[in-house]
Amino acid sequence: MIPPPRGVPRRALMALGLAAVLPVSACTSEDGGDHRNKGGRRAPGTLRVLASSELTDMKPVLDAAREATGVTVEATWSGTLDAVEAVASGKADGAYEAIWLSSNDYLRLRPEAAGKITSETPVMTSPVALGVTSGAVRRLGWDPEQVTWARIHQAVADGKLTYGMTDPVRSNSGFSALVSIASGLSGAQSALRDSDVRRVAPKLKRFFAGQRLTSGSSGWLAQAYARRGDVDALINYESVLLSLNRDHHTGLTVIRPRDGVVTADYPLTALASAPQDARDEVRALAGYLRSPKAQRTLTGRTFRRPVVVSVRPAAPLSAAKRRELPFPGSRSVADGLLAAYENELRRPSRTVYVLDTSGSMEGDRLDRLKAALTRLAGADGSPTGERFRDREEVTLMPFGSRVKAVRTHTVPEDGPGAALAAIRADAEALTADGETAIFSSLQEAYRHLARRASALGDDRFTSIVLMTDGENTAGASADDFDAFYRRLPAPQRTTPVFPIVFGDSDRGELESIASLTGGRLFDATKGSLDEAFEEIRGYQ
Amino acid sequence: MRRIFGIVLAVLLIGGVAAALIAGREKDKGTATTTVRGVIGSEKAEFFADPDVVKALADKGFTVKTETSGSWAMENLPLKGYDFAFPSSESPAVELARKAGVKGTPQRPFYSPLVVVAHRNAAEVLAGNGLATLTGKNTGTLRMGAYLEAAERDRTWQRLKGAEKYSELNGVVSITSTDPAQSNSGALYLAAASYVANGGRIVADDADLARTAPLMKKLISVQGAQQSSSDAPFRDFISGAANPLVLVYESQVASLLMQRQDVGDMVVLYPDVTVNSDHTLVPLTPEGRRLGELLSGDKKLRELAVRHGFRPQGAASEFTAATASHTAYLNQRLTGVRQAPVPRAGVLRDLARRATSQ
Repeated sequence: MIPPPRGVPRRALMALGLAAVLPVSACTSEDGGDHRNKGGRRAPGTLRVLASSELTDMKPVLDAAREATGVTVEATWSGTLDAVEAVASGKADGAYEAIWLSSNDYLRLRPEAAGKITSETPVMTSPVALGVTSGAVRRLGWDPEQVTWARIHQAVADGKLTYGMTDPVRSNSGFSALVSIASGLSGAQSALRDSDVRRVAPKLKRFFAGQRLTSGSSGWLAQAYARRGDVDALINYESVLLSLNRDHHTGLTVIRPRDGVVTADYPLTALASAPQDARDEVRALAGYLRSPKAQRTLTGRTFRRPVVVSVRPAAPLSAAKRRELPFPGSRSVADGLLAAYENELRRPSRTVYVLDTSGSMEGDRLDRLKAALTRLAGADGSPTGERFRDREEVTLMPFGSRVKAVRTHTVPEDGPGAALAAIRADAEALTADGETAIFSSLQEAYRHLARRASALGDDRFTSIVLMTDGENTAGASADDFDAFYRRLPAPQRTTPVFPIVFGDSDRGELESIASLTGGRLFDATKGSLDEAFEEIRGYQ
Repeated sequence: MRRIFGIVLAVLLIGGVAAALIAGREKDKGTATTTVRGVIGSEKAEFFADPDVVKALADKGFTVKTETSGSWAMENLPLKGYDFAFPSSESPAVELARKAGVKGTPQRPFYSPLVVVAHRNAAEVLAGNGLATLTGKNTGTLRMGAYLEAAERDRTWQRLKGAEKYSELNGVVSITSTDPAQSNSGALYLAAASYVANGGRIVADDADLARTAPLMKKLISVQGAQQSSSDAPFRDFISGAANPLVLVYESQVASLLMQRQDVGDMVVLYPDVTVNSDHTLVPLTPEGRRLGELLSGDKKLRELAVRHGFRPQGAASEFTAATASHTAYLNQRLTGVRQAPVPRAGVLRDLARRATSQ
């Protein structure tokens, strides 16, 4: 089943206003962070760590660290860029003692973050690489050691290679990939500048036309990839690709392009706001993670590269040297790259919001739904990643006993303001009445998507968001939907449903929908609907 | 039988008393040590974490707890609760001392010159193109004048003879340093480079700044994002995730060598104009001051500092003797290496600000 277990940290995170967070419970903490209910204080010997989601695989190492140092890590998983926001804004102060992200590079671009962190200890490294099926490698006639970003671009532009990649706005592996590709294609000989990004935009656009899978996190991307089976390649950390090969026998050829890579170095970092004893514990933990024993375990179990000379990288890690591509040194370059990706370069999205407006939504629940939609349809100048993207097609499909309306808007690149205002007006006009026909409405959403695609003949990421506060009480049954879905043509079956647990909805029913369609469940019962909606953005 | 039992009993008792005495002494010692807390440059973290250093300090009555920070970033940290700050050179130390109202001379127990580490491929290509001279299998001199000229002209590795064999050698030839606005090694890189760029004169006034700032900005901006403390780029280099040339302290390399660790094909290039990092302890409390005196004066601690690759102030022979078997990598007497003077803190800061401005 796709959704990971939920823990208390989620609630605390919601209180922080963090969005793209994988609500996985702590890696090594058995009691799931009860201290949060005791006034937000930490228990001595327990470090609350805001960590990158792919570090879930460090559990064996952290268990051993607890044995050796007495320090328990209670991790809250987060996308790197959201974590950076939490640190820079000061929201992480007092809620965490340490951060452990794939990289602190983006954090350093935020001047507000100076003085907020201390004792940065890089623990291990993993470059962002391309995992390609053996079939595609043969078909393309590639010698993996010789492949450059330019060759990858050529294969994609010729329609010979498709791939999955995480959303750079939310995940460091996606962002690193974006930096690598932009560097490789622009021929930039040093750190990227704004002019490089502008110059290379048309090439990048052709490259992103080949992206078949997107995701808010590296972990879900790997699962979605394994499920799809019709995508040729995956851009992810070398460690994730090699672990996929081990655990799912994907047989991917891991290519670190010859012209350079961007590498994550996982610095365990204390927050300056943490009390002294906690910072001492961070230091003890960092010392342990740097020990040859821990370094041997982490390279052997997780295929990351050690940072001490006495430990050799695990067997599948190639020794061939690669240039390390510079990470942008200015926020304007980094943010310009992200904004270009979102609004110009990536394949646009087509998203249907199937929205429960049955009688039980009356009052506060409906108000919250309106507020969440209004926020997504935010103003023209909303920060990258916080509103519907330029070129995105958004359909609101409110339902009760049946679908009540189908309202479709496309956000134009030039002057998105009017379309966003129209979406806000539609959201404001929602009213609650009727029964809850979940499955009939989902079927209607799939039919709507088929009609749009055949009418426009365009190429988009398509997905369905299902928000409901109750169980199915009218129309088609779960079994009907199951049969309907299985009869869909194969391309339509790649459209996932992302259900949101809200109010009195039936978690089991929604989990089945997510699992059937290759989506992922999101939980708004503990946090706000706003944040669930925003988190899903990474998957659309 | 009875007598034997008696003897055994006596032995046990004596042993027990002895054990109790030892335990008692250790306990006394435990209660007698004073805990001092300090913020230090990351390159000294392993020194303070070394069990032998911990023991040597405990023998003198100290338990030292440290946290790391970039030397120039220390002044952003709340210094309350610390007994000492231990940045990696004099300039930030002077600033910190002024900020904290510390009087008297700060202690400078040991120093270490800045070096550039490279893999053999890169070092040989530099040597083949007149940018470096190799004096041994794993050591040599980086010609700063030639390097700065290459930087000025945006020279790429692809343009250098012999680089085509190595795919990792592409892009602009540049040295990775730490952020000069936050970290000492990055700031000292600018001190050395600006001295050379200013025609072998220290950058002292606005005219000097204006003359050297554009090149300094180029040296920094080509690097993109920079780390804020010197441990991280060195770790990235070790794990294979780095630019071909990385600026580190000699101590970081020497410490690995003295632990008899295999540093592989690493080549240590000493810039022909370099700057020594004078690790300078700023006492914030009387206990902090006593620790500083101890680190300079205690023979055992000086010996341990050498084991971590540092050169004790005024005791060159101690370093030379300890590194006798590592001359393949280390230039013990710094032959052919000139010391550039470091600009005043205010000027250096200005230089760093201009170099990092966008």
